[in-house]
Amino acid sequence: MSGSQEFSKAEKFWMSFKLYQLWRFIVLSIKVYIAAVQSKWK
Amino acid sequence: MAKVVVIGSGFAGQTAALYLGSKIGKKHEITVVSNRDVFGYVPSWVWVGMGHMKPEQTIFKLKPVYDRKNIRFVHAAVTEIHPDPGDQYIIETEIGSGQTVRLDYDYLIIASGPFLNYAGTPGLGPENGYTHSICTLPHAVKARDAYLALCERMRKGEKVKIVVGTGHPLATCQGAAFEYLVNIHKDLLKKGLRDKADLLWLSNEPELGDFGVNGVQIKRNGHILRSEEFIRSVFNDHGIRYQVQTGVTKVEEGKIYWQNYQGEEGVTEFDFAMLIPQFKGQPFKYIGKDGSDVSSKLVNPAGFVVVDAIYGLSYEELAQTPEAWPARYQNPNYPNIFAAGIAFAPPGPISKPFTNKNNLAITASPPRTGMVSGMIGRVVAMNVIDLIEKGSMTHEERMSEMVVACIASMGDSLWDGNAVTIVMRPVVPNRKKYHNEYGRDLFISHLEMGLAGAWMKFMLHHTFIWKFKGLPGWTLIPE
Ligand SMILES: Cc1cc2nc3c(=O)[nH]c(=O)nc-3n(C[C@H](O)[C@H](O)[C@H](O)COP(=O)(O)OP(=O)(O)OC[C@H]3O[C@@H](n4cnc5c(N)ncnc54)[C@H](O)[C@@H]3O)c2cc1C
Repeated sequence: MSGSQEFSKAEKFWMSFKLYQLWRFIVLSIKVYIAAVQSKWK
Repeated sequence: MAKVVVIGSGFAGQTAALYLGSKIGKKHEITVVSNRDVFGYVPSWVWVGMGHMKPEQTIFKLKPVYDRKNIRFVHAAVTEIHPDPGDQYIIETEIGSGQTVRLDYDYLIIASGPFLNYAGTPGLGPENGYTHSICTLPHAVKARDAYLALCERMRKGEKVKIVVGTGHPLATCQGAAFEYLVNIHKDLLKKGLRDKADLLWLSNEPELGDFGVNGVQIKRNGHILRSEEFIRSVFNDHGIRYQVQTGVTKVEEGKIYWQNYQGEEGVTEFDFAMLIPQFKGQPFKYIGKDGSDVSSKLVNPAGFVVVDAIYGLSYEELAQTPEAWPARYQNPNYPNIFAAGIAFAPPGPISKPFTNKNNLAITASPPRTGMVSGMIGRVVAMNVIDLIEKGSMTHEERMSEMVVACIASMGDSLWDGNAVTIVMRPVVPNRKKYHNEYGRDLFISHLEMGLAGAWMKFMLHHTFIWKFKGLPGWTLIPE
């Protein structure tokens, strides 16, 4: 994507590769949860 | 016994009501007044607006929830607020009976969301105009019907023009419009109709991917990736045309009139358009003890409730003053009145404002997303509880501190769906805390596209409806 202003074939592959996306789902969920939960302590 | 009245039962009002009801509902009188008797999970109206989700899957009745949480529910439209000490009440018109009723309060939380100002752009909107909207459930249903009828025309071989974006030079909520457009793209692909439609993103943002928050910036592999670059790639990849720096000034049947930053005027033709209107505050009457209009003590000219922000700074000053953003959402003149969600008046834009040579201001107004609205609802509720129980407030959170996550789906399939996941901290750049030109935490901030986002969007729909129903464990789900 950088420079070419379009997603590369490799990027598109990873976007839909289910096992990798499962990993991203876990990472993103934890990231969002931890960040949002911090706000509850205020 | 204190009387707390919450106006509105959207993201902000419902969050506030649940905290109030759960924590002090047995000892004090908590009342929610709302002109709708259902909670609507607004983010999923994107899918309703194209026939991918049934409207009833996005709503639930409020009364049974409130009965469990010691909250009184009044199904009525508020028309007047009487804020003067000694005689504080609101006037509401009950839906159904049409009866006008007075309701006294000790604490008032105004969480009445946006007034959708279609009239601000002649010809805009699904009722008296030519464009569609997904900002209310009936409007999303109307948009769906028109979109599906358009698909029928495409099936017969007709080529059509679809325009999605902002319908007023000062509109906000670009994220929802973006999500609707990319969902249309995906839906047309699946239907085998993509080659029959020309898709255009028409927006008042200063650049692509701005979303009214001055864009999103993240650090990836040691480089800064900006949402401008990212969204441009999405559009290029999907064959979606784009035109930013554009304020829509008028709509006629099949024609959108606009002006851009250069002051040029132009017309864009369309067969189907979904354009977000300008948001204003609800047009309540604010009346003093002597019958005078006290609105200047409570709201700004756009009708948003003035709170503990620093107003009147220039854009450049505001960009360097994160503490100008309110922390407690409390009206300075009437300290027992709070505003939560879209109802509060921000101190200024987050995106760079622009006025063209014809004196037309084209500026993306600051969004107060669902997550932001929920957080403010909680802060306000906890402070009202503090005031009732301890006499002083202990909670605060500014938009220049808040983290926000947004997921813009591209199709709702859990198998081959896709979504852009955006995490941003803080929503409003805070250059005093984060010493980079963007004023953002580049470690937490995140921008990514993939199937995982579609799963998250699906999960959020269900977990948030669970939360807003106040079902077991709801407090564990962050706003
Ligand atoms: C299509 C769409 C998709 C979106 N997607 C996302 C997303 O994915 N993520 C995200 O974070 N945000 C999203 N948003 C933004 C989010 O929906 C809003 O930020 C949020 O709804 C604002 O909450 P609120 O409580 O301030 O207002 P609202 O949700 O609008 O609630 C206002 C409440 O006030 C009531 N009310 C209004 N007038 C009166 C009156 N006179 N008397 C009594 N009651 C009244 C209404 O009935 C309603 O209950 C989206 C918005 C749209 C339109």
